[in-house]
Amino acid sequence: MKTSGTFLLFILAVMVSARVVRADDQCYVCHSGLGDEPSQKFVVDIHFKKGISCAACHGGDSKSDDMDIAMAKKNGYAGVPKGDAISTKCAECHSSAETMKKYGSSLKTDQWDELQKSVHAKVSFTGKEHIAQCTTCHGSHGIVSVRNPASPVYPSNVTRLCSQCHSSAAFMRAYNPALPVDQMEKYKTSVHGMKHAKGDIKVAECASCHGSHGIRSVNDTRSTIYPANLPMTCAKCHSDAAYLKNYKIPTDQFEKFKLSVHGIALLEKKDLSAPACNDCHGNHGATPPGVQSISKVCGTCHALNAELFSASPHKKAFDEQKLPECETCHSNHDIRHATDELVGTSGSAICIKCHSESKNTKGFAVAKTMRALIDSLQSQQKIAELLITDAEQKGMEVSEAKFKLRDAHQARLQSRTMVHSFNEKQFREIVSTGITVAGFVQGEARNSIDEYYFRRKGLGIATVIITILVISLYLYIRRVETE
Amino acid sequence: MNKFSSRVYQWMDERFHLSDAIDFMKKKYVPVHRHSVWYYFGGVSLFLFIIQVVTGILLLMYYKSGEDQAFESIHFIMSKVQFGWLIRSIHSWAANLFILAAMIHMFSVYFERAYRKPRELTWFTGMLMFFVGLTFGFSGYLLPWNELAYFATKVGTDIAGVIPIIGEPMLYFLRGGEDVTGATLSRFFGLHVAVLPAVFTVLLGVHLLFVQIQGMSTPLHMQHLEEHEIKKMPFFPNFVLRDLLLWLIVLNILAILAVYFPWELGRKADPFMPAPAGIKPEWYFLFMFQTLKYIPGHVLFIDGELFGILMFGLGGLLWTMVPIWDRKSAEGKRNKTVTYFGLLIVIFIITLTIVGWLV
Repeated sequence: MKTSGTFLLFILAVMVSARVVRADDQCYVCHSGLGDEPSQKFVVDIHFKKGISCAACHGGDSKSDDMDIAMAKKNGYAGVPKGDAISTKCAECHSSAETMKKYGSSLKTDQWDELQKSVHAKVSFTGKEHIAQCTTCHGSHGIVSVRNPASPVYPSNVTRLCSQCHSSAAFMRAYNPALPVDQMEKYKTSVHGMKHAKGDIKVAECASCHGSHGIRSVNDTRSTIYPANLPMTCAKCHSDAAYLKNYKIPTDQFEKFKLSVHGIALLEKKDLSAPACNDCHGNHGATPPGVQSISKVCGTCHALNAELFSASPHKKAFDEQKLPECETCHSNHDIRHATDELVGTSGSAICIKCHSESKNTKGFAVAKTMRALIDSLQSQQKIAELLITDAEQKGMEVSEAKFKLRDAHQARLQSRTMVHSFNEKQFREIVSTGITVAGFVQGEARNSIDEYYFRRKGLGIATVIITILVISLYLYIRRVETE
Repeated sequence: MNKFSSRVYQWMDERFHLSDAIDFMKKKYVPVHRHSVWYYFGGVSLFLFIIQVVTGILLLMYYKSGEDQAFESIHFIMSKVQFGWLIRSIHSWAANLFILAAMIHMFSVYFERAYRKPRELTWFTGMLMFFVGLTFGFSGYLLPWNELAYFATKVGTDIAGVIPIIGEPMLYFLRGGEDVTGATLSRFFGLHVAVLPAVFTVLLGVHLLFVQIQGMSTPLHMQHLEEHEIKKMPFFPNFVLRDLLLWLIVLNILAILAVYFPWELGRKADPFMPAPAGIKPEWYFLFMFQTLKYIPGHVLFIDGELFGILMFGLGGLLWTMVPIWDRKSAEGKRNKTVTYFGLLIVIFIITLTIVGWLV
């Protein structure tokens, strides 16, 4: 009963305020009398409620009940704004902090500035206006607050609003034919999309990631979805434990990612080839990869590793035990730089998680051999490097051997890939190639060092001979001159 | 002399009258005084030139001209050819020591007034050889086609291009086009191994002939002495043996330099790369390079760089023409102006070279 009373009072207040406006606003009085659509929509418009007349946007004299006077050009009547005039008209108030304050609004006043910098501010195909105006998203006569579920920009409505253009191949073709138009379809399959469909307005929708007024292209370094910025965009929600407390999912992914080999490459080194969140989880269809598809996801970049793993005996074993493939050894968000220590039977090796001298012994033996081979290649490469450096410091020309040493390094890199085959024979072939190269380089470097000492010895002998000659000649000259 | 060598000598003497030449040399005397040491630098220059010819011919067996091959061929010589590193290093070091020895020889002749009558032509041929020697150095510097050589040649030929009227055609002639390219390398190579050696050999022959005919110059302060009062030594074998002794020492110095400081090859020239910082010419051009840096943009109404080049040209001409304008020395009188002018030049060159090296 109390609730019904409050509701009636609210209706009464709206009607009273509407009458007040009506009395002052002859535009509304006349048009509502005609029963046209704009005036019918305008009654719920936030501007109408704030006492803003039609003339604020259309111009003219709203106080005159004479149509010829009210809609006279000399009184500023402009009719229906077209093109960019729509947004500039909105910006007259929405970019003015003073005006907005007068109406008791706490809205930001940079929307127009932001919009002008956005992709939507590009010139439309007519060549006369921006692609999107304020009314494109917010509507015109029935504009309500973003917090009002009736607003087209209310979280639950945003995806529908954006997809009106972005899901239309015909429309998008005019501006960016390469841009996919299936974002909405993908979104529906994502965790975000599914929860959104159930009315959860906390999950991410278009504006959560892309922003609203200042939407920039993915290639723009200032964009929220630029690869190097994307992890921070995702982290806005996914690192907020309070925001996600009802979802029962971890919130430490970003902290782990920052320290991972991928995170360091992307965020510190600005290496855009390194994966951001979307590269593994998808973007519009974001969802955690399933256990069986992890190697496929990682394999999009680490193709050889994935291929070798799929052909290896581990594939079957992992599938049987339902172990996530790459993740079992390398982890997921906090993937660290894979060192040679991961292989083998020592304490820091991953292999011993499943293999030991008493359990899965064949793998244990293979791991032990592989590690021995890696260590051998590493030490041979190191010796070659030291010898080359020594020869270089002695001023010897060893550029060719130094160049050749790259092949040993290459073999080491290949061995790190080949380890995913878990095949001792194949692994040994690669490592042997590297050891042979390292041996050749060592030989070349040693020859150069020997040559260095040979030159010095040669110089010593030559100096002795020349000195003997000089002394002999000097004595001979003295004898000749004495005679 | 043993029997075999006596028979060889006799065989040669019958045909070429060697004994006449030896008798001529035996009768030839070299004055002995406190400045006699300077006489040896002419011989040292000759020895270094001979080394240049020998090592140059050896390098020619492997060197390939052309922007795609020059650097690679020198790299091959330095790393693969037996003793190639030694030959190339000696060639480079001997080139520098040759310029140094020639400079010392030139200044000693100048301060001793050895250019005075009747040795004006000996001085002129010597000066021409010195300029040819500098051109040898400039042209040879580019042949490895490395970064430093490329940009030093670019800067050097740019400076030549500043000279009015003849500058631009000369620049085109030297470079074989607008820029330093493979065409420039071919020209410099031809100049270095064909034109300059031919010109130098002719000048050297004439120079040595004059020295042999006229003998060594006696310093001014000994001119008033009677013939029997002048202390002398026979040219052969005494002076020749001393020359030989010095040559051996120079040879040893060259070997030490080549082994301990092998001449670096650097990086291959890349015309599209910016010039490396601190690019400098060879040390014997450094004083001119440094001076041009200090000259303001404009001197009176003349471009600063052009003014500098004109001044160096004028200075070089004045220096070369000293036997003409120094009349006093020709008459056996002391000429302090010549000494002061020479000292000024020496101090100027040494100072600017050191500054150029350090800056």
